Amino acid sequence: MKTRSLTWRPSVRAGLFAGGLVVALVCFSAAATVSAQQKISKRYPGGKNVRVELRNISGTIVVESWNRDEIKLTATIESKNTHVVPKQVNQCLSVDVMSDNRGRGDIGDINFKLQVPVNSSVDLETVRGNISVTNVRGGLVRAHVSTEGDIELSNIVASQVIAQNISGNIFFDGEFLGGGTYDFKSSKGEIQIRIPGNSAFRLVAASPARRIVLNDFWNNNMKNQDGRKIVGDVGDGRASVSVTNFMGQITFLRR
Amino acid sequence: MNCETCQELIHDLVDGSISQSDESLLNTHIKDCLDCESVRQDLASIVGFARTRRGEYEAPPNEQALWLRIRNVIEAEAIARDRTGNRVASSERQPSFWERLMGHSWELSLPQLVASTVAIVLLVSLTTVVGLRRWGTTEIPTTQPTAIVGTSDISDRILQREQALTYWKQRVEINRARWNPEMRDVFDRNMSTINEAVANSLNELKKNPHDDVSEQMLNEAMNDKLALLKKFSDL
Repeated sequence: MKTRSLTWRPSVRAGLFAGGLVVALVCFSAAATVSAQQKISKRYPGGKNVRVELRNISGTIVVESWNRDEIKLTATIESKNTHVVPKQVNQCLSVDVMSDNRGRGDIGDINFKLQVPVNSSVDLETVRGNISVTNVRGGLVRAHVSTEGDIELSNIVASQVIAQNISGNIFFDGEFLGGGTYDFKSSKGEIQIRIPGNSAFRLVAASPARRIVLNDFWNNNMKNQDGRKIVGDVGDGRASVSVTNFMGQITFLRR
Repeated sequence: MNCETCQELIHDLVDGSISQSDESLLNTHIKDCLDCESVRQDLASIVGFARTRRGEYEAPPNEQALWLRIRNVIEAEAIARDRTGNRVASSERQPSFWERLMGHSWELSLPQLVASTVAIVLLVSLTTVVGLRRWGTTEIPTTQPTAIVGTSDISDRILQREQALTYWKQRVEINRARWNPEMRDVFDRNMSTINEAVANSLNELKKNPHDDVSEQMLNEAMNDKLALLKKFSDL
Protein backbone atom coordinates (compact mmCIF):
# COMPACT_ATOMS: atom_id res chain seq x y z
CA MET A 1 0.00 0.00 0.00
CA LYS A 2 2.77 2.36 0.95
CA THR A 3 4.66 1.75 -2.28
CA ARG A 4 1.47 2.33 -4.25
CA SER A 5 0.76 5.69 -2.57
CA LEU A 6 4.28 6.83 -3.35
CA THR A 7 3.90 6.10 -7.07
CA TRP A 8 0.51 7.97 -7.21
CA ARG A 9 1.62 11.23 -5.66
CA PRO A 10 3.50 12.82 -8.59
CA SER A 11 0.62 12.10 -11.02
CA VAL A 12 -1.94 13.58 -8.58
CA ARG A 13 0.18 16.66 -8.22
CA ALA A 14 0.51 16.99 -11.99
CA GLY A 15 -3.24 16.59 -12.38
CA LEU A 16 -3.93 19.25 -9.77
CA PHE A 17 -1.48 21.59 -11.46
CA ALA A 18 -3.05 21.06 -14.90
CA GLY A 19 -6.54 21.57 -13.46
CA GLY A 20 -5.48 24.78 -11.78
CA LEU A 21 -3.97 26.00 -15.01
CA VAL A 22 -7.20 25.35 -16.91
CA VAL A 23 -9.29 27.15 -14.26
CA ALA A 24 -6.90 30.12 -14.36
CA LEU A 25 -7.11 30.28 -18.16
CA VAL A 26 -10.92 30.16 -18.10
CA CYS A 27 -11.08 32.93 -15.49
CA PHE A 28 -8.61 35.04 -17.47
CA SER A 29 -10.51 34.67 -20.74
CA ALA A 30 -13.83 35.44 -19.02
CA ALA A 31 -12.31 38.52 -17.43
CA ALA A 32 -10.92 39.58 -20.81
CA THR A 33 -14.36 39.19 -22.41
CA VAL A 34 -16.02 41.22 -19.68
CA SER A 35 -13.46 43.98 -20.01
CA ALA A 36 -14.00 44.05 -23.81
CA GLN A 37 -17.69 44.74 -23.28
CA GLN A 38 -18.87 48.31 -22.90
CA LYS A 39 -21.83 49.30 -20.87
CA ILE A 40 -23.56 52.62 -21.23
CA SER A 41 -26.33 53.95 -19.06
CA LYS A 42 -27.96 57.32 -19.68
CA ARG A 43 -31.08 59.14 -18.56
CA TYR A 44 -33.09 61.49 -20.75
CA PRO A 45 -35.76 63.91 -19.62
CA GLY A 46 -39.18 63.36 -21.10
CA GLY A 47 -42.81 64.20 -20.51
CA LYS A 48 -45.58 61.71 -20.02
CA ASN A 49 -46.04 60.93 -23.74
CA VAL A 50 -42.62 60.25 -25.13
CA ARG A 51 -41.67 58.25 -28.16
CA VAL A 52 -38.73 55.86 -28.33
CA GLU A 53 -37.36 54.62 -31.64
CA LEU A 54 -34.68 51.95 -31.63
CA ARG A 55 -33.07 50.21 -34.61
CA ASN A 56 -30.72 47.46 -33.56
CA ILE A 57 -28.88 44.85 -35.59
CA SER A 58 -28.30 41.98 -33.21
CA GLY A 59 -29.13 41.54 -29.54
CA THR A 60 -32.06 41.75 -27.18
CA ILE A 61 -34.32 44.72 -26.54
CA VAL A 62 -36.19 44.97 -23.26
CA VAL A 63 -38.60 47.84 -22.61
CA GLU A 64 -40.35 48.36 -19.30
CA SER A 65 -42.40 51.22 -17.97
CA TRP A 66 -41.64 52.94 -14.71
CA ASN A 67 -43.28 55.72 -12.73
CA ARG A 68 -40.88 58.50 -13.69
CA ASP A 69 -41.15 61.12 -16.44
CA GLU A 70 -37.79 60.23 -17.90
CA ILE A 71 -36.19 57.57 -20.06
CA LYS A 72 -33.31 55.41 -18.91
CA LEU A 73 -31.31 53.66 -21.55
CA THR A 74 -28.86 50.90 -20.68
CA ALA A 75 -26.87 49.12 -23.35
CA THR A 76 -24.36 46.32 -23.11
CA ILE A 77 -22.14 46.47 -26.16
CA GLU A 78 -20.12 43.43 -27.13
CA SER A 79 -17.61 45.04 -29.43
CA LYS A 80 -15.31 47.94 -28.58
CA ASN A 81 -15.67 49.55 -32.02
CA THR A 82 -19.43 49.82 -31.93
CA HIS A 83 -21.06 53.24 -31.84
CA VAL A 84 -24.30 53.84 -29.99
CA VAL A 85 -25.39 57.45 -30.33
CA PRO A 86 -28.83 58.17 -28.86
CA LYS A 87 -30.43 61.36 -30.15
CA GLN A 88 -33.20 63.23 -28.46
CA VAL A 89 -35.41 65.68 -30.30
CA ASN A 90 -38.23 67.11 -28.18
CA GLN A 91 -40.17 64.14 -26.83
CA CYS A 92 -38.54 61.56 -29.11
CA LEU A 93 -35.47 59.52 -28.28
CA SER A 94 -33.98 57.61 -31.19
CA VAL A 95 -31.13 55.15 -31.42
CA ASP A 96 -30.18 53.89 -34.87
CA VAL A 97 -27.41 51.33 -34.54
CA MET A 98 -27.62 50.47 -38.19
CA SER A 99 -26.94 54.02 -39.43
CA ASP A 100 -24.38 54.77 -36.71
CA ASN A 101 -22.30 51.73 -37.67
CA ARG A 102 -22.75 51.55 -41.43
CA GLY A 103 -19.65 50.20 -43.12
CA ARG A 104 -18.07 48.97 -39.88
CA GLY A 105 -18.66 45.31 -40.62
CA ASP A 106 -19.41 42.97 -37.75
CA ILE A 107 -20.31 44.95 -34.63
CA GLY A 108 -21.50 42.06 -32.47
CA ASP A 109 -24.49 42.03 -30.15
CA ILE A 110 -25.90 45.04 -28.36
CA ASN A 111 -28.40 44.34 -25.61
CA PHE A 112 -30.69 47.25 -24.76
CA LYS A 113 -32.80 47.90 -21.73
CA LEU A 114 -35.11 50.89 -21.76
CA GLN A 115 -37.19 52.21 -18.90
CA VAL A 116 -39.87 54.58 -20.14
CA PRO A 117 -42.90 56.46 -18.81
CA VAL A 118 -46.02 54.31 -18.95
CA ASN A 119 -47.73 56.31 -21.73
CA SER A 120 -44.80 56.10 -24.14
CA SER A 121 -44.95 55.00 -27.76
CA VAL A 122 -42.25 52.50 -28.65
CA ASP A 123 -41.05 51.62 -32.13
CA LEU A 124 -38.47 48.83 -31.97
CA GLU A 125 -36.63 47.01 -34.72
CA THR A 126 -33.82 44.51 -34.82
CA VAL A 127 -32.45 42.23 -37.46
CA ARG A 128 -31.99 39.43 -35.00
CA GLY A 129 -32.80 38.96 -31.31
CA ASN A 130 -35.67 38.93 -28.84
CA ILE A 131 -37.87 41.91 -28.08
CA SER A 132 -39.84 42.27 -24.86
CA VAL A 133 -42.15 45.15 -23.95
CA THR A 134 -43.95 45.25 -20.61
CA ASN A 135 -46.56 47.55 -19.05
CA VAL A 136 -46.72 50.16 -21.80
CA ARG A 137 -49.91 52.12 -22.45
CA GLY A 138 -48.99 54.57 -25.20
CA GLY A 139 -50.25 55.18 -28.73
CA LEU A 140 -47.96 52.76 -30.52
CA VAL A 141 -46.12 49.56 -29.70
CA ARG A 142 -44.21 48.20 -32.68
CA ALA A 143 -41.80 45.28 -32.45
CA HIS A 144 -40.24 44.08 -35.68
CA VAL A 145 -37.64 41.33 -35.89
CA SER A 146 -36.43 41.04 -39.47
CA THR A 147 -35.31 37.44 -39.06
CA GLU A 148 -35.44 35.32 -35.91
CA GLY A 149 -36.33 36.27 -32.38
CA ASP A 150 -39.22 35.99 -29.94
CA ILE A 151 -41.52 38.95 -29.34
CA GLU A 152 -43.24 39.24 -25.99
CA LEU A 153 -45.65 42.10 -25.39
CA SER A 154 -47.10 41.93 -21.87
CA ASN A 155 -49.75 44.11 -20.32
CA ILE A 156 -50.01 46.38 -23.35
CA VAL A 157 -52.80 48.87 -23.87
CA ALA A 158 -52.11 50.81 -27.07
CA SER A 159 -54.19 51.94 -30.01
CA GLN A 160 -51.72 50.52 -32.50
CA VAL A 161 -49.71 47.34 -32.04
CA ILE A 162 -47.53 45.72 -34.67
CA ALA A 163 -45.51 42.57 -34.02
CA GLN A 164 -43.69 40.82 -36.83
CA ASN A 165 -40.91 38.27 -37.23
CA ILE A 166 -39.97 35.42 -39.51
CA SER A 167 -38.93 32.72 -37.05
CA GLY A 168 -39.75 32.87 -33.37
CA ASN A 169 -42.86 33.14 -31.23
CA ILE A 170 -45.08 36.17 -30.76
CA PHE A 171 -46.96 36.58 -27.50
CA PHE A 172 -49.36 39.45 -26.88
CA ASP A 173 -51.07 39.97 -23.57
CA GLY A 174 -53.14 43.14 -23.42
CA GLU A 175 -56.28 44.90 -24.54
CA PHE A 176 -57.73 45.86 -27.89
CA LEU A 177 -58.99 49.45 -27.83
CA GLY A 178 -62.00 50.58 -29.88
CA GLY A 179 -60.79 52.01 -33.21
CA GLY A 180 -57.32 50.54 -32.66
CA THR A 181 -55.39 48.41 -35.15
CA TYR A 182 -53.44 45.29 -34.24
CA ASP A 183 -51.22 43.38 -36.66
CA PHE A 184 -49.37 40.19 -35.84
CA LYS A 185 -47.37 38.31 -38.42
CA SER A 186 -44.92 35.42 -38.38
CA SER A 187 -43.68 32.91 -40.91
CA LYS A 188 -42.71 30.02 -38.71
CA GLY A 189 -43.33 30.76 -35.03
CA GLU A 190 -46.41 30.44 -32.85
CA ILE A 191 -48.65 33.48 -32.28
CA GLN A 192 -50.54 33.65 -28.98
CA ILE A 193 -52.94 36.47 -28.21
CA ARG A 194 -54.28 36.77 -24.69
CA ILE A 195 -57.06 39.31 -24.27
CA PRO A 196 -60.04 39.95 -21.97
CA GLY A 197 -63.16 37.91 -22.66
CA ASN A 198 -65.23 41.03 -23.46
CA SER A 199 -62.90 42.24 -26.23
CA ALA A 200 -64.61 43.60 -29.35
CA PHE A 201 -62.82 43.42 -32.66
CA ARG A 202 -63.00 42.55 -36.31
CA LEU A 203 -60.69 39.64 -37.01
CA VAL A 204 -58.85 38.58 -40.14
CA ALA A 205 -56.74 35.54 -39.33
CA ALA A 206 -54.87 33.59 -41.99
CA SER A 207 -52.86 30.42 -41.61
CA PRO A 208 -52.29 28.26 -44.70
CA ALA A 209 -51.29 25.48 -42.31
CA ARG A 210 -54.93 25.47 -41.04
CA ARG A 211 -53.87 26.10 -37.46
CA ILE A 212 -56.20 28.79 -36.14
CA VAL A 213 -57.56 28.24 -32.63
CA LEU A 214 -60.00 30.94 -31.50
CA ASN A 215 -61.32 29.18 -28.39
CA ASP A 216 -63.93 31.44 -26.69
CA PHE A 217 -63.68 34.05 -29.42
CA TRP A 218 -65.16 31.84 -32.16
CA ASN A 219 -68.76 32.46 -33.20
CA ASN A 220 -70.94 31.05 -35.96
CA ASN A 221 -71.21 34.35 -37.83
CA MET A 222 -67.55 34.14 -38.75
CA LYS A 223 -66.60 33.18 -42.27
CA ASN A 224 -64.25 30.23 -42.27
CA GLN A 225 -62.43 29.62 -45.53
CA ASP A 226 -61.36 26.01 -45.37
CA GLY A 227 -59.71 26.49 -41.97
CA ARG A 228 -57.03 28.63 -43.58
CA LYS A 229 -58.65 32.02 -43.14
CA ILE A 230 -61.23 33.21 -40.64
CA VAL A 231 -62.92 36.58 -40.99
CA GLY A 232 -65.57 37.94 -38.68
CA ASP A 233 -66.58 40.15 -35.79
CA VAL A 234 -66.15 39.43 -32.13
CA GLY A 235 -68.56 41.62 -30.18
CA ASP A 236 -69.25 44.82 -32.08
CA GLY A 237 -65.93 44.66 -33.90
CA ARG A 238 -64.61 48.05 -32.80
CA ALA A 239 -60.91 47.23 -33.10
CA SER A 240 -59.28 45.81 -36.22
CA VAL A 241 -57.11 42.73 -35.72
CA SER A 242 -55.07 41.02 -38.41
CA VAL A 243 -53.07 37.87 -37.70
CA THR A 244 -51.05 36.01 -40.31
CA ASN A 245 -48.94 32.95 -39.79
CA PHE A 246 -47.55 30.99 -42.72
CA MET A 247 -46.55 27.79 -40.95
CA GLY A 248 -47.18 28.14 -37.25
CA GLN A 249 -50.27 28.26 -35.07
CA ILE A 250 -52.50 31.20 -34.16
CA THR A 251 -54.12 30.91 -30.72
CA PHE A 252 -56.50 33.27 -28.97
CA LEU A 253 -56.72 32.93 -25.21
CA ARG A 254 -59.03 34.51 -22.71
CA ARG A 255 -57.35 36.58 -20.01
CA MET B 1 -53.79 57.91 -50.10
CA ASN B 2 -54.33 54.87 -52.28
CA CYS B 3 -51.72 53.14 -54.46
CA GLU B 4 -53.16 54.51 -57.73
CA THR B 5 -52.91 58.16 -56.64
CA CYS B 6 -49.50 57.45 -55.14
CA GLN B 7 -48.15 55.99 -58.37
CA GLU B 8 -49.41 59.01 -60.33
CA LEU B 9 -47.60 61.31 -57.92
CA ILE B 10 -44.40 59.25 -58.13
CA HIS B 11 -43.92 60.56 -61.70
CA ASP B 12 -44.11 64.14 -60.41
CA LEU B 13 -41.70 63.22 -57.63
CA VAL B 14 -39.15 61.79 -60.03
CA ASP B 15 -39.58 64.85 -62.34
CA GLY B 16 -39.14 67.13 -59.34
CA SER B 17 -42.46 68.90 -59.97
CA ILE B 18 -44.31 67.63 -56.91
CA SER B 19 -45.79 70.00 -54.35
CA GLN B 20 -44.55 69.87 -50.77
CA SER B 21 -47.89 68.69 -49.35
CA ASP B 22 -48.18 65.92 -51.97
CA GLU B 23 -44.61 64.86 -51.28
CA SER B 24 -45.23 64.46 -47.58
CA LEU B 25 -48.44 62.45 -48.24
CA LEU B 26 -46.53 60.33 -50.74
CA ASN B 27 -43.66 59.68 -48.34
CA THR B 28 -46.10 58.63 -45.63
CA HIS B 29 -47.75 56.17 -48.01
CA ILE B 30 -44.48 54.84 -49.42
CA LYS B 31 -43.16 54.17 -45.93
CA ASP B 32 -45.88 51.57 -45.44
CA CYS B 33 -46.37 50.28 -48.99
CA LEU B 34 -43.60 48.13 -50.39
CA ASP B 35 -45.22 47.94 -53.84
CA CYS B 36 -45.24 51.72 -54.29
CA GLU B 37 -41.73 51.97 -52.87
CA SER B 38 -40.63 49.43 -55.45
CA VAL B 39 -42.32 51.42 -58.27
CA ARG B 40 -40.63 54.61 -57.06
CA GLN B 41 -37.22 52.95 -57.02
CA ASP B 42 -37.69 51.37 -60.45
CA LEU B 43 -38.79 54.68 -62.00
CA ALA B 44 -36.02 56.61 -60.28
CA SER B 45 -33.41 54.15 -61.53
CA ILE B 46 -34.75 54.28 -65.12
CA VAL B 47 -34.86 58.10 -65.16
CA GLY B 48 -31.46 58.23 -63.46
CA PHE B 49 -29.97 55.87 -66.05
CA ALA B 50 -31.44 57.88 -68.93
CA ARG B 51 -30.10 61.14 -67.46
CA THR B 52 -26.61 59.82 -66.90
CA ARG B 53 -26.42 58.33 -70.42
CA ARG B 54 -27.89 61.36 -72.22
CA GLY B 55 -25.97 62.04 -75.43
CA GLU B 56 -23.99 58.83 -75.23
CA TYR B 57 -25.93 56.95 -77.90
CA GLU B 58 -23.75 56.22 -80.90
CA ALA B 59 -24.74 57.28 -84.43
CA PRO B 60 -24.65 54.55 -87.10
CA PRO B 61 -21.13 54.22 -88.53
CA ASN B 62 -22.12 55.19 -92.08
CA GLU B 63 -25.43 57.02 -92.33
CA GLN B 64 -25.41 57.23 -96.12
CA ALA B 65 -24.92 53.47 -96.52
CA LEU B 66 -27.73 52.83 -94.07
CA TRP B 67 -30.18 55.03 -96.00
CA LEU B 68 -29.10 53.32 -99.26
CA ARG B 69 -29.83 49.89 -97.76
CA ILE B 70 -33.27 51.02 -96.56
CA ARG B 71 -34.10 52.44 -100.00
CA ASN B 72 -32.99 49.17 -101.69
CA VAL B 73 -35.22 47.12 -99.39
CA ILE B 74 -38.23 49.36 -100.11
CA GLU B 75 -37.61 49.20 -103.88
CA ALA B 76 -37.23 45.41 -103.79
CA GLU B 77 -40.53 45.12 -101.94
CA ALA B 78 -42.25 47.38 -104.47
CA ILE B 79 -40.98 45.23 -107.38
CA ALA B 80 -42.17 42.04 -105.70
CA ARG B 81 -45.61 43.61 -105.16
CA ASP B 82 -45.81 44.57 -108.85
CA ARG B 83 -44.99 41.01 -109.93
CA THR B 84 -47.70 39.53 -107.70
CA GLY B 85 -50.15 42.07 -109.11
CA ASN B 86 -49.28 41.04 -112.69
CA ARG B 87 -49.77 37.37 -111.83
CA VAL B 88 -53.23 38.09 -110.44
CA ALA B 89 -54.14 40.10 -113.49
CA SER B 90 -53.07 37.31 -115.89
CA SER B 91 -55.07 34.69 -113.94
CA GLU B 92 -58.24 36.77 -114.42
CA ARG B 93 -58.15 36.16 -118.14
CA GLN B 94 -58.47 32.32 -117.84
CA PRO B 95 -61.54 30.50 -116.35
CA SER B 96 -60.90 29.26 -112.85
CA PHE B 97 -60.90 25.60 -111.71
CA TRP B 98 -64.35 25.96 -110.17
CA GLU B 99 -65.74 27.66 -113.26
CA ARG B 100 -64.48 24.81 -115.38
CA LEU B 101 -65.80 22.23 -112.91
CA MET B 102 -69.28 23.73 -112.71
CA GLY B 103 -69.45 24.37 -116.46
CA HIS B 104 -68.75 20.69 -117.23
CA SER B 105 -71.74 18.57 -118.21
CA TRP B 106 -71.82 15.39 -116.05
CA GLU B 107 -73.01 12.09 -117.52
CA LEU B 108 -72.66 8.98 -115.22
CA SER B 109 -73.49 5.30 -115.84
CA LEU B 110 -75.54 3.37 -113.20
CA PRO B 111 -72.51 1.51 -111.68
CA GLN B 112 -70.63 4.84 -111.46
CA LEU B 113 -73.61 6.46 -109.73
CA VAL B 114 -73.94 3.58 -107.18
CA ALA B 115 -70.19 3.58 -106.48
CA SER B 116 -70.17 7.36 -105.87
CA THR B 117 -73.22 7.13 -103.56
CA VAL B 118 -71.58 4.35 -101.49
CA ALA B 119 -68.34 6.38 -101.31
CA ILE B 120 -70.24 9.47 -100.10
CA VAL B 121 -72.15 7.44 -97.44
CA LEU B 122 -68.90 5.88 -96.19
CA LEU B 123 -67.16 9.26 -96.05
CA VAL B 124 -70.02 10.88 -94.11
CA SER B 125 -70.21 7.95 -91.61
CA LEU B 126 -66.46 8.03 -91.03
CA THR B 127 -66.48 11.79 -90.50
CA THR B 128 -69.39 11.50 -88.04
CA VAL B 129 -67.64 8.79 -85.95
CA VAL B 130 -64.39 10.70 -85.83
CA GLY B 131 -66.26 13.92 -84.99
CA LEU B 132 -68.19 12.30 -82.13
CA ARG B 133 -65.02 10.85 -80.61
CA ARG B 134 -63.34 14.22 -80.75
CA TRP B 135 -66.39 15.95 -79.26
CA GLY B 136 -66.34 13.48 -76.37
CA THR B 137 -62.71 14.15 -75.49
CA THR B 138 -62.77 17.94 -75.81
CA GLU B 139 -65.07 18.29 -72.85
CA ILE B 140 -62.46 17.17 -70.28
CA PRO B 141 -59.69 19.60 -71.13
CA THR B 142 -61.99 22.65 -70.98
CA THR B 143 -60.83 23.32 -67.42
CA GLN B 144 -57.19 22.75 -68.28
CA PRO B 145 -56.67 25.80 -70.47
CA THR B 146 -58.04 27.90 -67.60
CA ALA B 147 -55.62 26.21 -65.23
CA ILE B 148 -52.76 26.78 -67.60
CA VAL B 149 -53.76 30.41 -68.14
CA GLY B 150 -54.08 30.90 -64.36
CA THR B 151 -50.74 29.29 -63.66
CA SER B 152 -49.04 31.30 -66.37
CA ASP B 153 -50.57 34.50 -64.94
CA ILE B 154 -49.08 33.68 -61.56
CA SER B 155 -45.77 32.77 -63.13
CA ASP B 156 -45.76 36.10 -64.96
CA ARG B 157 -46.43 37.93 -61.74
CA ILE B 158 -43.72 35.96 -59.95
CA LEU B 159 -41.35 36.72 -62.79
CA GLN B 160 -42.11 40.43 -62.54
CA ARG B 161 -41.56 40.41 -58.80
CA GLU B 162 -38.39 38.36 -59.23
CA GLN B 163 -37.06 40.98 -61.62
CA ALA B 164 -37.60 43.60 -58.93
CA LEU B 165 -35.96 41.32 -56.37
CA THR B 166 -32.91 40.73 -58.54
CA TYR B 167 -31.60 44.24 -57.89
CA TRP B 168 -31.77 43.75 -54.12
CA LYS B 169 -30.28 40.25 -54.35
CA GLN B 170 -27.28 41.72 -56.15
CA ARG B 171 -26.85 44.35 -53.45
CA VAL B 172 -27.06 41.67 -50.77
CA GLU B 173 -24.43 39.60 -52.55
CA ILE B 174 -22.08 42.59 -52.60
CA ASN B 175 -22.46 43.17 -48.85
CA ARG B 176 -22.59 39.53 -47.80
CA ALA B 177 -18.84 39.22 -47.44
CA ARG B 178 -18.90 41.85 -44.68
CA TRP B 179 -21.27 39.89 -42.43
CA ASN B 180 -20.03 37.44 -39.84
CA PRO B 181 -20.66 33.73 -40.52
CA GLU B 182 -23.47 33.68 -37.98
CA MET B 183 -25.32 36.50 -39.75
CA ARG B 184 -24.85 34.74 -43.09
CA ASP B 185 -26.47 31.62 -41.60
CA VAL B 186 -29.33 33.68 -40.18
CA PHE B 187 -29.97 35.26 -43.58
CA ASP B 188 -29.88 31.93 -45.42
CA ARG B 189 -32.10 30.22 -42.86
CA ASN B 190 -34.74 32.92 -42.92
CA MET B 191 -34.65 33.36 -46.67
CA SER B 192 -35.26 29.63 -47.04
CA THR B 193 -38.22 29.92 -44.64
CA ILE B 194 -39.73 32.64 -46.82
CA ASN B 195 -38.97 30.66 -49.96
CA GLU B 196 -40.78 27.71 -48.40
CA ALA B 197 -43.83 29.92 -47.79
CA VAL B 198 -43.65 31.12 -51.41
CA ALA B 199 -43.37 27.54 -52.69
CA ASN B 200 -46.31 26.36 -50.55
CA SER B 201 -48.51 29.17 -51.84
CA LEU B 202 -47.48 28.44 -55.42
CA ASN B 203 -48.31 24.75 -55.00
CA GLU B 204 -51.74 25.66 -53.68
CA LEU B 205 -52.25 28.03 -56.57
CA LYS B 206 -51.30 25.32 -59.05
CA LYS B 207 -54.06 23.17 -57.59
CA ASN B 208 -56.54 26.03 -57.46
CA PRO B 209 -55.49 29.07 -59.51
CA HIS B 210 -58.30 31.25 -58.16
CA ASP B 211 -57.67 30.63 -54.49
CA ASP B 212 -57.78 34.02 -52.70
CA VAL B 213 -56.04 32.82 -49.55
CA SER B 214 -53.04 31.39 -51.41
CA GLU B 215 -52.82 34.48 -53.56
CA GLN B 216 -52.80 36.71 -50.48
CA MET B 217 -50.18 34.50 -48.83
CA LEU B 218 -48.04 34.57 -51.95
CA ASN B 219 -48.16 38.37 -52.07
CA GLU B 220 -47.30 38.65 -48.40
CA ALA B 221 -44.43 36.17 -48.68
CA MET B 222 -43.03 38.05 -51.67
CA ASN B 223 -43.28 41.33 -49.74
CA ASP B 224 -41.47 39.71 -46.81
CA LYS B 225 -38.77 38.52 -49.15
CA LEU B 226 -38.30 42.02 -50.55
CA ALA B 227 -38.22 43.52 -47.05
CA LEU B 228 -35.60 40.98 -45.91
CA LEU B 229 -33.40 41.65 -48.93
CA LYS B 230 -33.66 45.41 -48.41
CA LYS B 231 -32.78 45.08 -44.75
CA PHE B 232 -29.73 42.92 -45.41
CA SER B 233 -28.56 45.03 -48.32
CA ASP B 234 -28.14 47.83 -45.75
CA LEU B 235 -26.01 45.82 -43.36
